[in-house]
Order: sequence, then C-alpha cells, then structure tokens
Amino acid sequence: MTNLLLVGAPNSGKSALFNKLTGLSHKVANYPGITVDVGTGTLKSDPNVTVWDFPGTYSLNALSGEEQVAIDTLKTALRSDDDALVAMVWDATRLEKGATYCLQVARECAQAGKPLVVLLNMMDVIESDGLDVDVSGLSKALGVPVLPVSARTGDGLIEAEAALLAPSPDLAPWADTPDMLIAGTANQIGDRFAPKGDLLVRRQAHIDHWLLGTFTGGVAFVVIMTLFFQAIFTWAAPLMDGVESIVIAIGSAVASVMPEGIVSDFVNDAIFGGLGAFLVFAPLVFILTLIVGAMEDSGYLARAALICHRPLSFFGLSGKSFVPLLSGVACAIPAIYAARTMSSRQERLLTYVAIPLMPCSARLPVYALLIAILIPDETALGGLIGWQGLAMSGIYFFGIMTALLVAAVVSRMDDTTSSEQAFILELPPYRLPELRPIISKSFNRAMHFIRKAGSVIFAVTVVVWFLGYFPNGGEDLSTSWLAALGRFIEPVFSPLGLDWRYGIAIIASFLAREVFVGTLGTIFGIESADEDPAALADQIAASGLTAASGLALVVFFTIALQCVSTVALLAREAKSSQFALKLLASYMVLAWIAAWLVYSLASVVLT
Amino acid sequence: MSTSANQTSLWALAAGDSAVIASIDGHATDATSQRLIDIGFREGQSVMCLLKPGFGAPRVFAVGGATYSLDRATAERIKTIKPAS
Ligand SMILES: Nc1nc2c(ncn2[C@@H]2O[C@H](COP(=O)(O)OP(=O)(O)OP(=O)(O)O)[C@@H](O)[C@H]2O)c(=O)[nH]1
Repeated sequence: MTNLLLVGAPNSGKSALFNKLTGLSHKVANYPGITVDVGTGTLKSDPNVTVWDFPGTYSLNALSGEEQVAIDTLKTALRSDDDALVAMVWDATRLEKGATYCLQVARECAQAGKPLVVLLNMMDVIESDGLDVDVSGLSKALGVPVLPVSARTGDGLIEAEAALLAPSPDLAPWADTPDMLIAGTANQIGDRFAPKGDLLVRRQAHIDHWLLGTFTGGVAFVVIMTLFFQAIFTWAAPLMDGVESIVIAIGSAVASVMPEGIVSDFVNDAIFGGLGAFLVFAPLVFILTLIVGAMEDSGYLARAALICHRPLSFFGLSGKSFVPLLSGVACAIPAIYAARTMSSRQERLLTYVAIPLMPCSARLPVYALLIAILIPDETALGGLIGWQGLAMSGIYFFGIMTALLVAAVVSRMDDTTSSEQAFILELPPYRLPELRPIISKSFNRAMHFIRKAGSVIFAVTVVVWFLGYFPNGGEDLSTSWLAALGRFIEPVFSPLGLDWRYGIAIIASFLAREVFVGTLGTIFGIESADEDPAALADQIAASGLTAASGLALVVFFTIALQCVSTVALLAREAKSSQFALKLLASYMVLAWIAAWLVYSLASVVLT
Repeated sequence: MSTSANQTSLWALAAGDSAVIASIDGHATDATSQRLIDIGFREGQSVMCLLKPGFGAPRVFAVGGATYSLDRATAERIKTIKPAS
C-alpha cells in the first residue's frame, strides 16, 4: 500500500490531475494519522496506490488560520512514517508563482526522507503558444525529477506515473537550506526558467479590458448574472418538479398496496412526503454547482469577485462572498457549499450569517400568497407596472439589504467574524470549462447533501407529522397535538395579530418555508393551495387577516431561518452545531421583533 | 534599499505602465507581505498595472507570468521605481 501525496498551488491544475490519475474516483477521508479530511482516490493504473489531494496553498507560509491548518496537515503527513511519494504540481505558464512553494516542499521532503517528483503541468498551453521551458535544466537546478504533463490532454501522464512509482533513491538537496536561501533560489529559478514573453498575460488582459471596464464590465456583469438566474430556474425547476412527482408517485404506489390506516398514512405522508420535500433540493444543488463550477473554470468568477469587492467590503464582507451570496438568492443549501472556496474562516462565518437572509426561492410561494392577500391585482401607468410585481421586487430588495446590513452589524460587533484580510486574488486565465469533472463534482455535492443533511431533516419531518396526525388519526388538523401546540404558543403570535392557525403554519414552516402555504391550505380547507394560491388568498382575506398582520408575516419570513436543511448543513459546514443553533435562535428573535415593530407601526398608520 | 524620492506605491501606477518592485512594507515580517513575496512580488521583479476598474475596485497587476487583483491597502504596501530606460 503506497500513498501518493499531490501538492500544488491553487489553479495549478492539481484537481484536474487528480481526476486524470484516479479516474474521478474522488471521495473524502482521513489521511493516516491526521484527522483533517483530505480528498482521496486510488490510482487508475495501480489500485495499490492511494492518491491524496491536499488542499492547495501558495506556499508553506500561512496567510490565515485555515491555511495554517492545511499546511500543518501537509507537514504532518510528510513526516509520518508511511510509505509516501510526493508529487508537486506546478503550473509551467506561471513558474514564478510556485517556485518558493516547490522549494519549501522539496526541503520538507528531503528532511522527511520522502521522494519528490515535480509535475510541470499545462504543457499543452506552453506548446500551443510556441513557448519554451527548459525542463531538464529546471530538473538539474531543483535536484529532483521534473516531468512535463498536461492534465487537460493527458500527455506525459504515463511517463509521470512511471517516474512516480519508481522513485530514485536520491533525495532533494535542500534539507538544510535556510529560508533566505530558499527565497533567493526561487527568485533565480523564476528568472531563469519562466517562459519568456507575455503573450498569455496580454491575451487575458484584452478580455479583461472588456469584462472589467467601468461601463462594459457593468453591462457584462448584469447580462451574465441574468443568464445565471435564467439557467438555474429554467433548468432546475423541471428537475425539482420531476423529483417531487417521482417520489410522490412511488409513495402513493407503495401506500396503495398497504391496508389503509396509520402505517399507510405514515409511509405516504411522513416518509415519502418528507423525502420529497428535501430530495427536491438535490437537483438544485447539482445545477447550481454545475453552473458556478463552469463559471469558475471559465475564469469569470474571479472577475465577478473583483467587481463586487468594494461594495461588499462596505458591509464587512469581501468579493469572495459574492458567489455564495448570489447562490443564496436561489437557495441557501448550494450557497453554503459555495462558501467552501473561501480560505478565511472568519470571512466564511460572516458569509454564513448573511446567506440565510438572502431571499431564497422557498420564500417565493409564501410571498406570492401574502401579496395576493395584501395587494390588489391592479396595474398602473397603463399596464406597465403591476403593483403585485412591484411589491415582490420590494420584498426581494428588503431581503438582500437585511442580509447585508446584518453582516455589517455582526462584522462590527464581533471580532471573530470580521477581518481586515488583505484582498489578494489570482485572476486565472480565461479557459473553456471542462465539463466532465464539473459534472462529477456537482453530482458528489448533491449526494453529500442527501447523505449528510438527510437524517436530521427526516427526523424533524417525522416529528412534525406525528404531532399533526395524533391523537385523532389525521382526521382533523385543528384538534391535533400540533394545533394544541399552536394554541399553546398563540400568545407569541397574538402581538402580531395572528391566531393559532398561523402559529401552526409557522411552526410547520420551520421544516421548509413553502410548507406554510400548504399548511394554511389544509387548515382553511383548500386543497391544492400550492398550485393555486388565489382561492386560499380569498379565504384568508375573508377571515379577517389585517394588512398589518400580513406585513408582519412578510417581515417575519424575510428574517426567520425557517429551514431544517439549512440549519443542518450549517452545523456540518461550520463544524459547529452551536453556531447553527445560535443563528437559528437569533433570527427567530430578530424576526419577531422586526415583525412586531412593523405590525405596531402599520396598525397605527393603516387605521 | 534606501527610500528615494522617485519611489511610488504600486497603487499609483497608471494602467499599462510597468515598474520595478523596490521594496515591500513589513518585508517578510507579516503574513500579507510574505504572501505577496511568495506569489511573485519580489524586489527587482518587473510589475505591470494591467487594469484600473472604476469605483476604486481592486486593480489588476501582472507579475511573473501571473495576474493578481489587489485592493488599495495591499497594493500600497508595494513600493516601485521606474526602470531607468
Ligand atoms: N490547458 C490546460 N488547462 C488545465 C490543465 N490542468 C488544469 N487545467 C485547468 O486549469 C484550471 C484549474 O485547474 P484545477 O484542477 O481546478 O486547479 P487546482 O490546482 O485544483 O486549483 P484549486 O481547485 O483552486 O485548488 C481548470 O480550469 C482546469 O481545467 C492543463 O494541463 N492544461
């Protein structure tokens, strides 16, 4: 059993190479003796070799606590007794960038007695641009084997694998080199071996000129973001509907062969209903990861982060929070995953604080119902402006502003989430995205979500189902334990002018926000409220819900973190249940206070 | 290296202009400077300002075959001199 450690700077093509070597067999595990998760797979050509994809850093000098963890992990792995080979992935087109890192790793390897091979990646780009790198000269200067490869075309990989698996007994000659000399040598190596000519930089600068220009850049940004949302909603919606109807169909098929009664109800409503409610997120995670991945690979995401850095830093966030926040407008789940690329834990936690406040698509049916109740379906300016549409835009704007303002307040209040991190962002060259690895990654994320968040979501679903079903066997929701609970907590919502019926619907909506509509539908005796909220809206309006209470509900839903999936995933990704529960509690209190203020104000103004 | 009058910060570089890096504030004593050095912003290296997006956004610099975007505070740590030519 041999371990092969892949090391390399961000954007050096380490993941691409890993995929080529292992055939996309990526999973996450603990490296022997280390508790940090590292991506791993087995070598395609030799199943006895385990390949480890260590997190990329720019050098062995950490910029953040998170990087320090990655670096310590690597150092420990290098020093552990295991039989290990080390491969340093180095981008030939940007040789200066990795020089210090490469020498530092060479020193570590020599000290630990581990053989090192340098894989000089992106040689296809060097060739197609008519550039030249003196590979054997570089190998002599470094004192370790250097093999030219291309993770894109696969050229050189066979030779590289052979060299890796038959390491020479000579160790790199850097074991006792002090830092100063490492830096100096890195300098010289960069000067001597980096491909001459700035063709690559020029080509990229030409496109940047347009995509980052003050006017053209703004236009391009708006167009690309519009396409982004179009793609998410037009592709994900049918997939989500598909998953839901398949689960429901299987559920009723299973239930139909069972005798009627509690077991069949449980299977149909709790198991399959609950399953459907969270499985629909899986396609959304898949599509969003796919599109964001393609945008990242194309090189545009780094530019978008640059454009948004200034406005976001105003709120204590940084340009790197842009993609997670943007994804949050569709759904918090893929947004939380998107924050994985942020290297600073502080910045990431602050982004987690803002994500649940972004107006996600699960709020849409709730807003649609409330708007239908509150706002007349009329237009102004000769049909140009619909009041309902305007109200929806207003609510979205309110949601986004709330997210940013809360982030601003938290970053100023709490030193552990704010940071004066320097903004240093590499702008990778523009490339055509390679789809296969992105698809595989998106699929892995969707599966990760199902496996890791599924159990918690499922448990909560079952509990809510039990409360709603007993003691009368699901006959009448208004006499169930859930309703009793609703009446019990009525005092909480009565200051907002809401009775127990809304109390139940709000409790149920902590499963997922859109459940609010269905629950009210059940209570008011209108089936299919999900598809056609108009009838329900009429009923509710007739039952005497005041405008002030309606507004209070809008505000409550804008702020409250009513989504088990989000809470479960936050606890996972932030590696702190306390953080997730604190966020849940804070937003519940904040939502109530804001709703109460709006209710009180509106009660005065509107009467 | 002495601070001469013709040293300017990287942030002051006009788009399309090149200069040579003279020094980096806090040379290697803090993590940010160390990172700048590790990714290629070293004394004696030639650096070019590729782009100045509007509204004070971070600017784009090319050094050692790679391009980076740096915000104002970071770019101002880097002092440059005009090449003699
Ligand atoms: N032309 C070409 N492109 C490559 C090659 N290797 C990787 N790429 C591309 O370079 C980009 C970065 O590759 P990744 O594999 O994501 O790089 P990484 O080192 O894992 O970077 P991080 O994921 O940021 O740690 C992707 O767009 C790849 O498709 C190569 O040999 N030739």
